[in-house]
Amino acid sequence: MPHPTHWKGKELPNVLRRLFDVPGGHRLAVARQHGAYSTIGATLFDKSPFELIELVKDSGLRGRGGAGFPTGMKWSFVPRGTGKPVYLVINADEGEPGTFKDRLLMARDPHLLIEGMICTGWALGVRTAYIYVRGEMLPQIQALNHAIREAYDAGLLGENIAGSRYSLDIYVHRGAGAYICGEETALINSLEGYKGQPRLKPPFPAVSGAFANPTCVNNVETIMAVPWILTHGAKAYRRWGTDKSPGSKLFSIAGDIGRPGVYEIPLGMPMPEFFELAGGVVGELQGCIPGGSSAPVLNAEECAKAAMDYESLAGLKSMLGSGAVMPFNATRDPVAILRTLTRFYAHESCGQCTPCREGTGYAHRVLDQVAEGKGRDGDIDHVRDLADQFEWTTICPLATADAWPIKSFTGKFRPAFDAYLAKNPDRAKPRELTQLEPGAFM
Amino acid sequence: MADLITIAVDGRDVQVPARIPLIEALRHWAKVETPAFCYHEDLKVAGNCRICLIEFEGPRGWQLGISCHMQTAPNLKVRTQVSSPGVVKARKGVMEFLLVNHPLDCPVCDKAGECTLQDNYMSQGRHESRLRDEVGKVYKGGADHRFTDTKGGDRGGKRIDLGPSIILDQERCIVCTRCVRFMRDVAGSEQLGVVGRGDHAYLTTFPGQPLDHAYDLCTTDVCPVGALTGKHFRFQQRVWNLKTVESIDPSDALGANLTIEYSFPGAQGARVWRLMPRRNPEVNKSWLANRSRLLYQQLASNRLGDGKVAGADVPLDDAVAAAAKALAGARRIALVASGHATLEDNAALLALKDALGERAEVFGGSWLAVGKPDGIALSGDPVANRAGLRLLGIPDNLDLLAQRAGEFDLLLSVQHDLWAADPAKAAALAAIPARLVLASWQDATVAQATIAIGVRCWAEARGTMVNCQERIQVLGACPVLPNPALEPAWQVLARLAGLSWSGEAEAFKAAQARSPRLAGLSYRAIGPQGRVLAPAAVPAAVGA
Ligand SMILES: Cc1cc2nc3c(=O)[nH]c(=O)nc-3n(C[C@H](O)[C@H](O)[C@H](O)COP(=O)(O)O)c2cc1C
Ligand code: SF4
Ligand code: SF4
Ligand code: SF4
Repeated sequence: MPHPTHWKGKELPNVLRRLFDVPGGHRLAVARQHGAYSTIGATLFDKSPFELIELVKDSGLRGRGGAGFPTGMKWSFVPRGTGKPVYLVINADEGEPGTFKDRLLMARDPHLLIEGMICTGWALGVRTAYIYVRGEMLPQIQALNHAIREAYDAGLLGENIAGSRYSLDIYVHRGAGAYICGEETALINSLEGYKGQPRLKPPFPAVSGAFANPTCVNNVETIMAVPWILTHGAKAYRRWGTDKSPGSKLFSIAGDIGRPGVYEIPLGMPMPEFFELAGGVVGELQGCIPGGSSAPVLNAEECAKAAMDYESLAGLKSMLGSGAVMPFNATRDPVAILRTLTRFYAHESCGQCTPCREGTGYAHRVLDQVAEGKGRDGDIDHVRDLADQFEWTTICPLATADAWPIKSFTGKFRPAFDAYLAKNPDRAKPRELTQLEPGAFM
Repeated sequence: MADLITIAVDGRDVQVPARIPLIEALRHWAKVETPAFCYHEDLKVAGNCRICLIEFEGPRGWQLGISCHMQTAPNLKVRTQVSSPGVVKARKGVMEFLLVNHPLDCPVCDKAGECTLQDNYMSQGRHESRLRDEVGKVYKGGADHRFTDTKGGDRGGKRIDLGPSIILDQERCIVCTRCVRFMRDVAGSEQLGVVGRGDHAYLTTFPGQPLDHAYDLCTTDVCPVGALTGKHFRFQQRVWNLKTVESIDPSDALGANLTIEYSFPGAQGARVWRLMPRRNPEVNKSWLANRSRLLYQQLASNRLGDGKVAGADVPLDDAVAAAAKALAGARRIALVASGHATLEDNAALLALKDALGERAEVFGGSWLAVGKPDGIALSGDPVANRAGLRLLGIPDNLDLLAQRAGEFDLLLSVQHDLWAADPAKAAALAAIPARLVLASWQDATVAQATIAIGVRCWAEARGTMVNCQERIQVLGACPVLPNPALEPAWQVLARLAGLSWSGEAEAFKAAQARSPRLAGLSYRAIGPQGRVLAPAAVPAAVGA
């Protein structure tokens, strides 16, 4: 199903999706016909790095990896002239459950990523850049490597790009498929060859990141929006979206929806309208995870009020996150959904810090009991309390990302959980104390 | 002090140094007890245990932060368990998580009594367990070491032999990575690592490789729980039965600070059970070489009894009387001082020289080879009190003694195993007909002695040594003696000199009389961390 070009009489933004439906678009020759690398020349190199950073600031572009941090501002934190190399690292780990936009971008339009990296590299004074790709994404890795080779052959990478005297090398680094390696400092550890575990901050990567040098980590989608902004200007980008959430964004929608897939829409589109664009909710809407599995779930009333931008979803105490939208209908079991989600976080905890290492697994084990009809009175409050205990006490936000679904699902769909407890005739029995037997300890 | 800044702790202004770990400021400046499992003064910060959480005022109001990783800065405002229920709750939560998958087999755990986890449960946790049996624990451990317990439960690793000196109880490991950081950053040999993720993460060595490093027993010190235990001490003694005496490593010129731990008197009888590193940031930090740590094993073995005359055991007084007689009859006497003995012992030797007058001559130095410092807790110089000999003006001239052996008819050596240090050179000394040896062990020199007198060893007599940094340090006296008749070497020497010194303090005074750099010192003034001696007065250069 090709991406719609218009919606309700208006043209949908086309910042990122230009090659979604073009066969062979990952090849340089084809991509060029659609404008690839048109910025690599005077458009880019006539601008000073400072001007480019200002332009991105003016556009209001925000990070698409999850946190939504203003990209121009992030770039301005990267120190210059320290004598140390500055690294650009593209976060292509795309591990947030429900998210499948970066992989489409890299498979269909790898040259746009390279072009965005050249622009960003110019802005930050980068000589060497990495693309850290989730290990399982083999076709994307092949597409990227192929595109990089073509770009080198065409003089668009390496020494003296397009006669500009600017030089950039790009390496593709394959991760091993750990969710935590999407967290930028864990990613840097993994890139350096260490175990993928988040680092303590400060220092922040902008000051001391990869190989202890200033490093800028950006999501694939973020960087791919840069060439368009450079060509069309900040004002043009702001014609979509809201004041604080300008521009367009990719949303990957799946679940009980008519036409699951990746859509580029203007930020700020009402959620019900987006559902409509994507073929409509199948069945009666019960709730929706609006921004990847870490985002607190919304119930049907909240979905009716929500708009697809950072502020609207934050206002509903959820988040836009990575833009992974998962509506589910009334036939779905919230207990089963939460059980699956908590299993994911317990499995993906890097095991470094106590509350996340021990707590995510513990909470999951209690929920397992509940889901198997063996829950006891107080179990749900217990799990919520555990979530409170690991929500803000850890090194990185993975534990928080487990606490939010736990708290939102058990809060908004409590009757479903209580119904499971009711299945256990022994639910009111107090906790038995372990009987110690000789030899129990060995 | 100019460097102090003001931070607010629980609404109270506290002066602290700038840019130190907040946890140190809380503990030592604000006097707020702050728990930690992963933080260790002498290791890099890992920030993973989360028990030191406090609240600080940030751009978005009060938020939780870890005090080990935060640094003191002007205007920092923090709230601790004293004023914040949020901190109390957060720490309780961390305690609950630490214990949820912990075996809690304290009754049979060797760490009980000195376990940070136990201590913190008592001070921060004290929660009723909410864990139900059906929910179950996840015990740490690699596949190779898992076992099924008597209740059919899947358990972790309980008794894993990591190498020559250490056993790992993996279930008890709280993955604080202190041991990993010690091996990586201090020992410089990355033999330990944590593999796996989540609650299945566990500590291990490289497959098939042992943990075998000259300092690996330090991992048992830094381990906050009973996961790593030393084979030499595990299940030997309950730690709360032990008494302690502060001393230093007598086998190396750094004089790593240590504690002698002994039981006395007790059901088990008097015995030294272990030596533990004692933190001295200027000397050995928190570290002690395995070699030094195991020195206690010699304290009760192969000891020289009261004394020997012509190879036969005799009571102490008889040996001393024989020695006095030999000294009285000798024409030319070589007195050999020792860098293995204290300032007190050597001062007594010098007092004996004064008593003997022109007939006696003092020799010093050592034939032992000097190695390189390892940068951890050994200087490489096996002569612990070499600087002390210099201080007392004792020459470094053992080779000269060997050359001139023929001139002497009596050799007296104190705590100096000359024949072991260099048997070839020592052979020349056999030309001296009377060989009087004060020693603690039946060593190679005792074997050459015509008269041997048993004396207390380094652990049994109070004394001082000067280390390679010119730091004077005290060796405390552990009351455990293999033989109650034994006296310190200084006392025997003083008796031979006809002096009746009442205690080691008098011997120390005698040493002070020989060096202005010792002026004004006392055992108390030296203190548990030692004192760097004032530099020697440099004679004014002769101007042109
Ligand atoms: C547990 C965790 C997983 C993350 N996974 C990803 C990811 O897969 N892809 C990504 O771009 N950002 C991910 N992030 C966010 C990154 O840490 C970082 O904020 C982002 O790459 C910055 O790029 P941006 O500013 O362009 O969004 C993750 C963060 C956390 C805490
Ligand atoms: S919060 Fe979880 S994933 Fe993040 S550092 Fe701690 S243990 Fe690792
Ligand atoms: S390590 Fe040993 S003493 Fe400490 S809490 Fe665990 S079982 Fe008890
Ligand atoms: S063995 Fe001890 S020191 Fe090592 S990680 Fe486990 S608890 Fe920490």
